[in-house]
Amino acid sequence: MKTRFLALAGGLMAATALASVPAKADVKIGLIGGVSGPIAAMAPAMIDASQLAVQQVNEQGGIGDGEKLVAVVGDSACNPQNGTDAATKAVNIEGVAGIVGPHCSGAVLAAAGSVTIPAGIVMITPSGTSPEITSLEDKGTVFRTVPSDDYQGRALARTMKDMGYEKVAVAYLNNDYGTGLANAFKAEFVDELKGEITQFAAHEDAKASYRSNLAELAKGGADTLVIFDYGDGSGLTMLRQALENGFFEKFVGGDGMKSEAIISELGAENLGSFVSSSPVGAKSKSLDVFNEAFKGIGGDPDAIFATTSYDAAFLMALALEKAGGKKEGVAAAMLEVSNGEGEPILPGEWKKAKELIAAGSAIDYKGAAGDHNFDANGDVPGTYALWEVGSDGFELVTEMK
Amino acid sequence: MEILGLVNYALFMAIFIAIYALLALGLNIQWGFAGLFNAGIAGFFAVGAYTSAILTSPAAADRIGGFELPFVAGWIGAMCAAALVAWPIGKICLRFRSDYLAIASIGIAEIIRLVIKSEPVLTNGARGISSIPRPAGDLGYMESQAAYLVIVLAVLVAVYFLVERQFNAPWGRMMRAIRDNEPAARAMGKNVEYRRLEAFIFGSALMGLGGALFAHFNRSITPEAIDPMVATFLVWIMLILGGSGNNRGAILGAAVVWIIWSVSEIATDRLPHEYAVQAKYIRLFLIGLMLQLVLRFRPEGLLPEPLRGDRRAAPTERDRS
Repeated sequence: MKTRFLALAGGLMAATALASVPAKADVKIGLIGGVSGPIAAMAPAMIDASQLAVQQVNEQGGIGDGEKLVAVVGDSACNPQNGTDAATKAVNIEGVAGIVGPHCSGAVLAAAGSVTIPAGIVMITPSGTSPEITSLEDKGTVFRTVPSDDYQGRALARTMKDMGYEKVAVAYLNNDYGTGLANAFKAEFVDELKGEITQFAAHEDAKASYRSNLAELAKGGADTLVIFDYGDGSGLTMLRQALENGFFEKFVGGDGMKSEAIISELGAENLGSFVSSSPVGAKSKSLDVFNEAFKGIGGDPDAIFATTSYDAAFLMALALEKAGGKKEGVAAAMLEVSNGEGEPILPGEWKKAKELIAAGSAIDYKGAAGDHNFDANGDVPGTYALWEVGSDGFELVTEMK
Repeated sequence: MEILGLVNYALFMAIFIAIYALLALGLNIQWGFAGLFNAGIAGFFAVGAYTSAILTSPAAADRIGGFELPFVAGWIGAMCAAALVAWPIGKICLRFRSDYLAIASIGIAEIIRLVIKSEPVLTNGARGISSIPRPAGDLGYMESQAAYLVIVLAVLVAVYFLVERQFNAPWGRMMRAIRDNEPAARAMGKNVEYRRLEAFIFGSALMGLGGALFAHFNRSITPEAIDPMVATFLVWIMLILGGSGNNRGAILGAAVVWIIWSVSEIATDRLPHEYAVQAKYIRLFLIGLMLQLVLRFRPEGLLPEPLRGDRRAAPTERDRS
């Protein structure tokens, strides 16, 4: 009995010793996304964009002393059950040094709460927009490259007030995206700016008719309808029926409403009174560089969240390089590689970044989706602009502050 | 792959299996004992999860809460709330039989889900509730998981023994009599409606407890967690695969289905990248295929319902035939 126990203990110790020998191994990161489940249509482009960043890193010298960066794809299925399962596997079985993802806010909250925060692994999500993520007690380990819905809602409220909108009705899709935007908008527009919201109502997705919702919304006598919805889904139906029946004169949308589908379905001539907000990422040099590279591997740069996914993976690689490929220093390094100070790094400029990091100089990543200067909560402020419909698609009206 | 990592992963899986085993045991009371086709597990799961979250989490702006009760109070509250919600539902819906009850209960689970999504004052709406405390959550990663596993296992063992005792008690025999031959049970003077309602409420309370354990483990609960696929149908597959009417079968089914679901991804990740991503869809297919095979070749499940109900007397060969 005793010898067996000793042998077992010895075996365990030997195995631990073997495992902890610092071999020149690959550096792994987890790409956890909603491969199956409700956002299955969006996930492939997001994962491809992250993989592009990994590929560029490996082509230009890898991490540290030529070690390869390896991405392990996990399926969060957009729910907490599978999200925590995928994160646990990535952290414990694959031994990743950081996680890019998950894609849905619910999975982010659960995976952070039960896996990555206790394990001290840095997580950076490209699409978890819930304001709840801001207030997580995460010891500085949870980041995101997409602005919280809070920022956009408040920025839109301020811009509208400046442009003279006083009395509006708000319709929002009943999910975390629509609710988050609408509540932030309401908080700023009513409580801070003393505007008036006559009706404030949620609606469900994929209904054939929203006429009864619209009739209800029009009751307060507002001439402007603010829609927080998706322009290729129920938002389009709602806008069409509001135009057909003349419920409202002016329309304002969030970034989900800035969709080409609206112009192609309704016609630019009918949309003279429609404006929508959207991230300004729209015309930076970084975005052009990314678009070229992503087209080069057969991706569609206009795919939703492709830019933020790329930035998240590239930032993770930069932070890993800065931290020497070890998971311990990644959280601190993440703040250093993109704080607005230092030599600008554009998407794909891995070699330049690597040399600068080796020389000890400060670098500042300018991402495809924005500058990504993280605040203390790991959030990015995001820059937005208001767009109107012109003869060739959407045209810039004004920057939003 | 380090040994510590493997231990952590095993702990995580064990916690999940134990939580799903609670749901499966709850369903076993309803379907296995009483023959009630409840397809609204997600609804009771959600009621339990949110009740415990509201009772134990710190105060937040714009919603009720801030009671910061100890987690035990939250879990008992979760069971009570789920039972209270189940009572009027059972009162109305249990007049339906089999598939009609299934349709009604799916509808009720959807109503509960939509109420949760649309009542920010109660549940913080679509954003969900985070910063729910986890018992022993201040310890390190592995220690905290191990401590939580001990708590969850203690709950599961207690529930198992209580349910098993009920199964072998006169109450269990009566429920099966009602299930198998309602007119005969009625002729013997049993109050069929009342007993059905009892089974429905007991089962729902256990589902609520499962929801509460889940919310505390993840330290958050969002409407995404009450998706019918992962909170209703997965539990049904576990019970049918393990063997409905058998409490050990319910637990075994939870373990088998979750292990296949989770471990198969590790196996498929060894494939080349382009196949590895596609293979993730196969996992859904695998679960469905498994259910088909079990229903075709072993419809009674891996561990069938004990024929005489009383396990204390070892059944002889003659009893079985």
